[in-house]
Amino acid sequence: MSDQVSHMPSPPSALSRLSGLATPGVTAVVLVTLLLFLPALLGGSWTFTLGLCFANSIGVLAVSLLVRYGGEVSIGHTFFTALGAYSVGVLDTRYGISLWASVPLALVLGVAFGLLFAWPSRNLHGIYLAVTTLALALAVPEMINNFDGLTGGYEGLYVATPFLPGVDMGAQRYYVALAMLVLVCFAVARLRLSRQGMALLLAKTHPAAADAFGTRRVWARISVMGISGGVGALCGATLAFSGSTVSPGGFTFWQAIFLLVGSVVSFYGLSLPRVLIGGAFVTLVPQLLSASGAWIPVLYGLALLGMILIGHYMPRIRKALNRNRETG
Amino acid sequence: MDQMTNALRGEGIALSFGGIKVLKGLDVDFRAGEITGLIGPNGAGKTSLFNCLTGAYSPQKGTISYAGQPLNGLPPAARAARGIVRSFQHVALCPDLTVRENVMMGLARTGTAGWLSAFLPLPRGRQERSDMARAADAALADLGLPDVGDRHPGELPPGMQRLVEIARAVVGKPSVLMLDEPAAGLNNAETQDLTAALRKLVSPDLVMVVVEHDMDLVMSICDRIYVLNFGEFVAVGSPAEVRSNPDVIRIYLGSDEDE
Repeated sequence: MSDQVSHMPSPPSALSRLSGLATPGVTAVVLVTLLLFLPALLGGSWTFTLGLCFANSIGVLAVSLLVRYGGEVSIGHTFFTALGAYSVGVLDTRYGISLWASVPLALVLGVAFGLLFAWPSRNLHGIYLAVTTLALALAVPEMINNFDGLTGGYEGLYVATPFLPGVDMGAQRYYVALAMLVLVCFAVARLRLSRQGMALLLAKTHPAAADAFGTRRVWARISVMGISGGVGALCGATLAFSGSTVSPGGFTFWQAIFLLVGSVVSFYGLSLPRVLIGGAFVTLVPQLLSASGAWIPVLYGLALLGMILIGHYMPRIRKALNRNRETG
Repeated sequence: MDQMTNALRGEGIALSFGGIKVLKGLDVDFRAGEITGLIGPNGAGKTSLFNCLTGAYSPQKGTISYAGQPLNGLPPAARAARGIVRSFQHVALCPDLTVRENVMMGLARTGTAGWLSAFLPLPRGRQERSDMARAADAALADLGLPDVGDRHPGELPPGMQRLVEIARAVVGKPSVLMLDEPAAGLNNAETQDLTAALRKLVSPDLVMVVVEHDMDLVMSICDRIYVLNFGEFVAVGSPAEVRSNPDVIRIYLGSDEDE
């Protein structure tokens, strides 16, 4: 009897049954449900910070999109985030127009400038394209200051018009950012299943094969930059609304680097959990380290290294845990 | 249209890289309704000729036309839009896509769903994907791969990857199908499946050109064969004529003087 029992396959544990249910869709739904109720458990300042975290997650997603679909790295995405943020800021401050109109404008401008940037740089790759995007990042603060009549210069702009009149503004700054992040992640997940998304992936790995089946590699490169620029602008629009202020300090070269760091930390993931990890790293780590004085750069570097190592060894750790569970 | 008007033609195709003449003024006439073989030793210029015909290379001299329409100057994507497709000597499948999705890319030129459908779950985009998936599954099944659609190319042995690439080339019902070493890496059973599938594809409207080193395959499926050596044709004819051509025998078996 005991032999028979020992040869029978052991029933799946509750944990393994749960992990079997954890499809990307289910994980995203659970995560969003948790985030919907989080403000009820947290204080106002944390709710505000998480709103910024969601906005930065969209920026991380914009950079990761360029890597995953175009095979290129950008160190200048603050150009697009600034474009989105000032679309919201200028329309709100100067004309009292809310997100209903400024977000579509931000998206259109982000896509348009992405395409405009991509056309002359369509034959640049790797480090050459990255350095070209650097020029964008370096130009942004100067451009904002030069157009101070519109942008408010160093002082910036204050975004105060509610998205939904009559609803608490603090809650709006959190939930609008969350909704925007979920919508962008959903749209990007749809892109992966579309003919255009598949063609972009083929063009990234085998441009000649993509060409041979009707996908021009120039079209692919320009399209990816347009999409990434549009998502970058949505990040900026969300940052402006959730952060309530728009100023040149939010769009420096270092902010562009932090978006790239967030993308690396999330291993260029495009799913909601992955981009949230990247956005949380960009937003929360500097905040958590803010009391560390001169140690901030060192601790930030260690945190970055730790995240990369955890991500790198995670598959092995998971495999070892599964093995232990099976033998146990 | 008859097989002559549907032909893929090249006249005086010449290609050089630096001072090296790779193709020396070649005339080709690949006819619809036939399988044409293109054989020759390594470095003879077979793939270069393929690349000129599909637009990957621009020959310095000569004209290329399909069904009487000039193709010179058209990029590969524009030629693909006219139904001229190819497979590659080295498998060029996308590792990020499933096998089914890779094959669906053979239908990319026929897609009409716009960008809005790419980001939103609109009926048109969903219908397009499901139609493409169905056609891809049928093409895979025709090549003896009915159950691999959900896997990724890296999970398949090289021979199967080669067949997946051929499925991608044929799924869009091309007017010109150019296969660059389709049997490379295939085992005997897979080669037989491929042979049967290629024979089934023959139609009065399809120009099919095969570059191949497997002589048994070439001799068994081709109606006409071009033999290329050092950028020049040394023989053109039926398999029987080519097999008995002394120049071909010399190239493939070596002459007494070489020994």
